[in-house]
Amino acid sequence: MIRGTVVGQVWATRKARGLDGQTLLMIAARDADGNPSGRLVVAADVLDARVGDEVTVAFGSGARNVLRPGAENRDLLCDAAVAAIVEGEG
Amino acid sequence: MFLGRVTGTVWSTVKWPQAKGLKLLLVRPYRLGDVAPGQVRAGAEASEPTDDLVVCADTLDAGPGDDVLVAFGHAARVAVSEKLAPGAKPDVPIDAAVVAVVDRVEIDREAGR
Repeated sequence: MIRGTVVGQVWATRKARGLDGQTLLMIAARDADGNPSGRLVVAADVLDARVGDEVTVAFGSGARNVLRPGAENRDLLCDAAVAAIVEGEG
Repeated sequence: MFLGRVTGTVWSTVKWPQAKGLKLLLVRPYRLGDVAPGQVRAGAEASEPTDDLVVCADTLDAGPGDDVLVAFGHAARVAVSEKLAPGAKPDVPIDAAVVAVVDRVEIDREAGR
């Protein structure tokens, strides 16, 4: 997973069927020091994260488990998903 | 996934048979500093993307100049199998695919600082 900040949203009408209904957020990844690394990630959101929120993003099958937990989720078109809205860190 | 701009295409004749008929695109990912805040579509007014090129299978007839979303891994194969045949198994040797042609991006670059 990575940690990042929600910076925006993306809309598309011409898209793969598997993306229908997904909210897609732009996340600015943070580096080891907590600063923006410059890398932008687009992730599905089911937690209603907002611009400015600190989040964690899961990739791969971890991301599919956010959208639909369980073994029967390999039909999902999802490679990145907001997994948590971060409230603090130590 | 990432947001990028299609910059070109790649041809090949020697490849895995499962990949036959798939168009391959060169896509350049946008970095945080490349995307103008509030831009409607990354066009003439936007900076050029600066990240390393990624080769992606095309499922949507995207072309040079289009801003697209690219998915990696299994999600890319799911998108490609949608195009190959209804219910086709996602067993193509592909790990990146264009899954959307972007209409609009809203970004607050300051939120990422």
